Amino acid sequence: MKNTFILFLFVLTFSFVNAQKNYPNITLKNLDGKDVNIVERSKEKMIVVSFWATWCGPCIQELEAIADSYEDVQDEMGFELISVSIDNSRSVSRVKPMVNGKDWDYEVLLDTNQEMKKALNFSAPPYLLIIKDGKILYTHSGYTPGSEDEVFEKFKELSK
Amino acid sequence: MKNIFLIAVFLFVFTSQAQENNQNKGTLNVGIESNIQYLLFDELDNPVTNDNFRSNNYVNINYDIQKFSFGVQAEGYAPKALLNYSPSYDKQIAFATAFAKYKTSKIEATVGHFYEQFGSGLTLRSWEDRQLGINNALLGARVKYNITSDIELTALAARQRYGFKLSESNIYGFNSELNLSNMFNYEKTGLNIGLSFVGKDEPYVSTTPGFIGKDFPNYVYTTSTRVGFNQGGIYANAEYVYKSKDVRIESGLVHEGAKFDGNAALLTLGYSKKGMGISGTFRRMENMSFYSERTASGNLYNEQIMNYIPGLTKQHDYSLTNIYVYVAQPLADFSNLSVDADTGKVTGKVKDGELGGQIDFYYKFKKKSTLGGKYGTKLAVNFSHWTDLYTTLKQEGQTNIYDTNYTTDLLNYRTLYYRDLNIEVRKKWSKKVSSIFSYVNLFYNQNKLEGAEYGTVDANIFVAESTYKLGHGRAVRAEIQHLWTVNDKKNWAAGTLEFNASTKLAFFGTDMYNYGTTGNHYYNFGASYTKSKTRVALSYGKQRDGLLCVGGVCRVVQAATGLNLNFVTSF
Repeated sequence: MKNTFILFLFVLTFSFVNAQKNYPNITLKNLDGKDVNIVERSKEKMIVVSFWATWCGPCIQELEAIADSYEDVQDEMGFELISVSIDNSRSVSRVKPMVNGKDWDYEVLLDTNQEMKKALNFSAPPYLLIIKDGKILYTHSGYTPGSEDEVFEKFKELSK
Repeated sequence: MKNIFLIAVFLFVFTSQAQENNQNKGTLNVGIESNIQYLLFDELDNPVTNDNFRSNNYVNINYDIQKFSFGVQAEGYAPKALLNYSPSYDKQIAFATAFAKYKTSKIEATVGHFYEQFGSGLTLRSWEDRQLGINNALLGARVKYNITSDIELTALAARQRYGFKLSESNIYGFNSELNLSNMFNYEKTGLNIGLSFVGKDEPYVSTTPGFIGKDFPNYVYTTSTRVGFNQGGIYANAEYVYKSKDVRIESGLVHEGAKFDGNAALLTLGYSKKGMGISGTFRRMENMSFYSERTASGNLYNEQIMNYIPGLTKQHDYSLTNIYVYVAQPLADFSNLSVDADTGKVTGKVKDGELGGQIDFYYKFKKKSTLGGKYGTKLAVNFSHWTDLYTTLKQEGQTNIYDTNYTTDLLNYRTLYYRDLNIEVRKKWSKKVSSIFSYVNLFYNQNKLEGAEYGTVDANIFVAESTYKLGHGRAVRAEIQHLWTVNDKKNWAAGTLEFNASTKLAFFGTDMYNYGTTGNHYYNFGASYTKSKTRVALSYGKQRDGLLCVGGVCRVVQAATGLNLNFVTSF
């Protein structure tokens, strides 16, 4: 009991010290088997990363909702989304057919061993981040219908 | 000693964090999760008088600085672990895993606890799943070395975590992944090969009086050979796994006599292009269960499991479609064998293995087409079929069940375990309204999969859900479900209503009603609040007894009524 309490105290003090986090420097493969590093990409322009899985209903709702407006927000504010699938070996073979079958235009990365998920230390998808120059500027966990509008607004705000 | 070390680590981290001008300061990531339960009634609806209050808590801390990273996870299960979790966790509050890692582009070395998977996981997988209560992390050392960017080698030596102890066996593993497309300069074709070897060294200490020590395999190993190919929209992956001979285990008891090896073959293929995708997965497997202590074979809590054998069927989001769930069948079962009184010879059938597959088809009807409508319509179809393998006893005049051996046919089967057809249509009607319709037709051999007291189940399920956006992050989601069957518990009806008052606050209510026989209601009402990386949810409900499955791995849960509080945050 005492151990956990001490641990908790130390942990609480840190929460106020380090505000802006670095995005983990991990390279993953996209659906064409090519290596992609999000930190490098975010240095070229601000990007949005969303974690999902083929078995996660709310994740698919979120990606569908963003897909509906994707063309418009790309033109309007240079919005770019990279979706990272945390499907493990059981369901990873469904990723490409599903992405094509749903006609999504996003770049898709495969985090099959959940290395990036563990480095970001979140518990379950959907989990969305806005990243620029390797720094995490905004995060949102979970999806409720309409929260994609909040993401678009935040992106616009951070672009200024 | 451990405390002082950790306090020193934190002080180091704290001082380096406080230096604002230090460009190379590290990153600290903390994740906290707490699941608290207050039980009110048990599975028979009697009031619970003791051990009402239970909780599972996790604190995970990761610190990355330049090429190093460190991590520690503390877990607390107090005063008792949540219902249906292994009682070996009760009252334990301690540091559960810890690691130190050094990583460059060429080499990665880890000391401490780590998670790993070779290939599809049939030879080796260690992972954490808090909902299922699985954490079979390996404690030892692991080195990953990239000879070139196309050849990656991994070697490890470890012991497996078992609760807050370690399994009594040594595990050695070696894995190689070769990317041939770059080596042969294939521009548009992907070709890769994988080879793995996992060995387990477990001494056997007999507790049976009069046990005559025959040649006992202390060393059991698995090997995997894999090939992957992709070009344009086509891909194919094949994996063959072999498991060496081990003794027969039944209900935690070791039987002398014939020893059995195991094998598995896995094939996935698919084709996709914009607007359409099709994929198929096929598996043939026999005697593939692999535990770090052999007597743990088939245990209720998935403890000491060494590999990953998921049920390869569609994962559903709805309550009624999660009543009859197919669980993979890796164990060989000899309980049907007996010695015939007249002939004195062994008769009966050995139940072993699993054979089958599933196919997924995704299609988008284009916008403005007849079936597409204004926004397009998305269709997903899934079909699966799972059986056992046809076994034949090797009649060598055996008079002892434990000496009996058997053969299996390559592609022939005796019993159908499970078959389903799933059709899902997603339609967006307007900017504010969208719906999903699902139809499921299934056959579930409850008799062979759960127990001889059951029959088989043929069921049809229909689900319709709609979401209505009210603007400014407010929305309503309504769902109705119905299951038709004349078997088992007969018909069910279910419904869910969810109201999102904003993007942060949500209220929900759901109920499953078995009006066909028992008249039981399994309900859940609650609210959740999410802000950035923090989520708090409070609910009250009656949980149905049955299977809880995550990622194809399942655990039996008993019915209970109570209050649940979940808290998750990270910073």
